[in-house]
Amino acid sequence: MTHPGDGTVTIELDQRDDGELIGIILAAARRGDVATMARTASEVSEMTRNWATHIPWDDFAALDGADDELARVVADLTEMWEPAHLRNPVDPDEEYALDKNAYDFYRPAGRNLLTRTEDFYDWVQARRRTETWQYSRVLEAAPDSVAQITNDLGRRARGINFNSQDYLSFNTHPGIREAAAKAMHDYGPHSAGSPMVLGNTRISDDLEAALGDLVGLEHVTLFPTGWAAGFGAVVGLVRQSDHILIDRLAHSCLQQGARAATRNVVRYEHLNVEAVRRHLAGIRATDSRNGILVVTDGLFSVDADWPDLVTLQQVCREYDATLLVDVAHDLGSMGPGGTGVLGMQGLLGAVDIVMGAFSKTFCSNGGFVASRSPALKQYVKMFGGSHFFSNALSPVQTAVVREAARIIRSAEGDALRARLFTAIHALRDELTGRGLTCMGEPSPIVPLLIGNEKLARTANRLLFDRGVLAFMVEFPVTPTGSSRFRLQVQAGHRPEEAREAARIIDGALADSRAYLSSAFGSAPR
Amino acid sequence: MYDAIVIGARCSGASTALLLARQGHRVLVVDRASFPSDVISTHFLWPHGMSYLNRWGLLDEVLAVTPAHTTVEVVNDGISLTGSVPVELLREYFRDLHGDDSGVVQSYASVRRRVLDQILVDAAAGAGAEVRTGFTVRELVVEDGQVVGVRGRGADGEQVEERARIVVGADGRNSFVARTLGLPKFDERPRCTFAYWSYWSGFDLGPAQLHRRGRLACAVVPTNFDQNMVLVWGPSEWSREFRADVPGNYQRTLDFVSPELGETVRARGVREERIYGTLDQSAFLRPLHGPGWVLVGDAESAKDQCTAIGMTHAFRDAELVSAALDRWLRGAVSIDEAMAAYEGRRRSQNAAAYHDYVCTLAEMRPYRHDELQLFVALRGNQQETDRFIATHADVAPVSEFFQASNLFLLNDAAKESSADHAVFADFAGTSRSYQQNLFA
Ligand SMILES: Cc1cc2nc3c(=O)[nH]c(=O)nc-3n(C[C@H](O)[C@H](O)[C@H](O)COP(=O)(O)OP(=O)(O)OC[C@H]3O[C@@H](n4cnc5c(N)ncnc54)[C@H](O)[C@@H]3O)c2cc1C
Ligand SMILES: Cc1ncc(COP(=O)(O)O)c(C=O)c1O
Repeated sequence: MTHPGDGTVTIELDQRDDGELIGIILAAARRGDVATMARTASEVSEMTRNWATHIPWDDFAALDGADDELARVVADLTEMWEPAHLRNPVDPDEEYALDKNAYDFYRPAGRNLLTRTEDFYDWVQARRRTETWQYSRVLEAAPDSVAQITNDLGRRARGINFNSQDYLSFNTHPGIREAAAKAMHDYGPHSAGSPMVLGNTRISDDLEAALGDLVGLEHVTLFPTGWAAGFGAVVGLVRQSDHILIDRLAHSCLQQGARAATRNVVRYEHLNVEAVRRHLAGIRATDSRNGILVVTDGLFSVDADWPDLVTLQQVCREYDATLLVDVAHDLGSMGPGGTGVLGMQGLLGAVDIVMGAFSKTFCSNGGFVASRSPALKQYVKMFGGSHFFSNALSPVQTAVVREAARIIRSAEGDALRARLFTAIHALRDELTGRGLTCMGEPSPIVPLLIGNEKLARTANRLLFDRGVLAFMVEFPVTPTGSSRFRLQVQAGHRPEEAREAARIIDGALADSRAYLSSAFGSAPR
Repeated sequence: MYDAIVIGARCSGASTALLLARQGHRVLVVDRASFPSDVISTHFLWPHGMSYLNRWGLLDEVLAVTPAHTTVEVVNDGISLTGSVPVELLREYFRDLHGDDSGVVQSYASVRRRVLDQILVDAAAGAGAEVRTGFTVRELVVEDGQVVGVRGRGADGEQVEERARIVVGADGRNSFVARTLGLPKFDERPRCTFAYWSYWSGFDLGPAQLHRRGRLACAVVPTNFDQNMVLVWGPSEWSREFRADVPGNYQRTLDFVSPELGETVRARGVREERIYGTLDQSAFLRPLHGPGWVLVGDAESAKDQCTAIGMTHAFRDAELVSAALDRWLRGAVSIDEAMAAYEGRRRSQNAAAYHDYVCTLAEMRPYRHDELQLFVALRGNQQETDRFIATHADVAPVSEFFQASNLFLLNDAAKESSADHAVFADFAGTSRSYQQNLFA
């Protein structure tokens, strides 16, 4: 037939398809029968000729005698003809371990809750066999800037430690240990019960006062973990018909709290205050009755950035929305006098609700919720669930946090933060100088962007034996395709240690790229 | 002496030549083929592909002879989603990648290469590029390790040598430039699909339909000459058996994946050409540039057809590389800086994530329970369905859709459940049956 506007092309329907023709040519080539090759080639479609431009379709007849030329044609045609994975076999375990991500197992099939977890377990086992499972490593001794660990296959390693959240190196601080010992002596190891019953001690009251002082919000409630504080604050306050606007990358305890509290959840673009304003205007246009909680982290825990809280709080007030800020990572470790992002933005005492965790700088477990309202405090204690229905922090934990809060506010705290930031700058500068991408701003969290999960998992495997302990984060902590190493710096890291670690990480990444034969770099877009 | 010689005059090459010539540079573009002509490709252009044509002032010419639509229907194991790529995401794409968002259109089309490539070649010539078709490059001229020109034979059979400040390899998957320079391949993913298609008249189904069932898939898209491009694909492991009876297995695949479509094609369709096909679609990257040369399009990064993106990527490369080369040719930056800018875009983490997305999809494993549940959760959620389609087409970054908080929320907001879809009735049994080679 002939196409309109194109008188030259005639296409014969009955022609054999290219696959069949290539099969014939290949068989003839193997026999050295160039005449058949040339005859058959004339029937191959124009499409295929224009595509497989490396095959000398018109010159088959002239291949006579030139042996390696013929061999080349055979090789090239075979490549077009046989499935490529048959030529390049791969280790199925490794392929499985590196290709999947945890999300692939989120909705398992079957009605038996016990057996349907097995699919996921097979994948975990493949990751473990190939030593690419970064989770559940254990410490062999007290960690400081160096730690000794065992992975979940029982293999040991020792390395410069970026896995502890102990930003001011309190774990080895004599004052902190002494406070723990004293509380142990005075009250024993047990917390007697829920803080609503008899779980708190006098130390708890002191601690609430100290924290209130630190963030400028005098009504403070303690929780057994930071997770419980975030979850409890959200579900304690928000009801089905209320709304939540939450930063897409806010911590899991807040996301899960939001999902548990209401279906009216909007995840706004990371840090985008203008987006919050738009959403608030949209909600208020149709709903003037119900509450709106706006939720964000202070310092984001895998991105190392923070929002403009001044504008965010202002925007919230304009629309009668309430702001909740999670300062788990920045409180104590940065900002004037350890006041974190709030202090850096001049917002002490000026944010509606602040929550935090003691699991980072404060060298313990636990968390808190603070505001200026005694009513809100009593309400969250009653309806937060994770406060009422969970045992209180133990006296030892409470005493440690109280002592940590004291040091944080002292001149020693300033000195420790100065050392911490010297190490942070050394690490970031060395990584950046090597062409790697550190995300966010200088802070105790240094996220080193890797992106591709395979690369990150392979680099992680290499690092284990090279003397750096760095936690690799991937989905569900980060979005698919933006995995990274989260390096958590401590005041106890010497700058030279930080630079040495950067060199080792760079080497492991280069070797992983070579191992995977990958050309992708580390620029985000 | 030219500023640039471009080898290959199709999606990546003619476009690069066009843009460089418009910027006022002396360009020679050659192709061993003559035009109009086809090349192996099913030629679906997503809205960003169409937008590139619009930015270059060529879209009207294409639309004058090609049907276009904006919504597409995607049916996975009976779970149907209909949507389109949102304009806002398209704008973001162009702003992020090229720094301006002019010319965005929301429609897609399937343009025969004999139509499209001719328009591109004519436009390149119209912009002042010298176009030589029927010209085969047989050697690169290399001096002190630097590519400085090409030697080849023109339509008249005469051997000529031409020189330029840069040689652009726009010569496709089997790139002559890459083979001649002995360039390695990176990020290889050997598992891919086999694809067979042909052109049918006799029915008009409106917008594009993509169907998937088990390890097989098919698509129908209206194209030029009042015909439909009807494509079937499956895992390359099954290609040998498929090949044993191409027309029979082509119809069998249609019947299996979408019985309704199979019936339409059988009862009303008139096949206008032979059935074309290939299984040579394993994915890889090549080094992007070196002394005196740079690669664009399939030459730099080839991948499976399963997301129908190669031509759009070729356009993207043309805009990126011409912008970079222009800055260098004008003397604003060094060649190293220009190439680093191009490389930064082309080897970014977003690009890596999409490479993985395509390659994993190309393995054509039966959809997992959780993947199908996600499709169920998307039904009735138009905004997220559209974002999913935009992600599939590499308009929006993979990382923005496949993010824990988003997926959990999608789940919470689901309006339908597995009870509404037959594939979940005996999921284990159905999945097992999907592992059977249909053609064995
Ligand atoms: C089965 C299949 C289906 C596809 N479907 C789609 C789809 O639906 N949508 C989509 O966007 N993409 C699709 N693609 C991908 C798309 O076809 C390619 O990405 C696209 O053609 C790449 O364009 P290019 O300009 O880089 O290379 P090509 O189109 O391959 O052009 C290369 C040109 O270089 C010329 N050349 C080569 N060597 C020389 C030499 N030595 N001298 C002179 N000239 C030379 C050739 O003659 C050729 O014309 C598909 C691919 C396949 C295999
Ligand atoms: C931002 C943020 N909020 C809350 C928490 C939870 O704290 P905890 O570990 O004390 O439960 C964490 C720690 O994982 C966090 O990073």
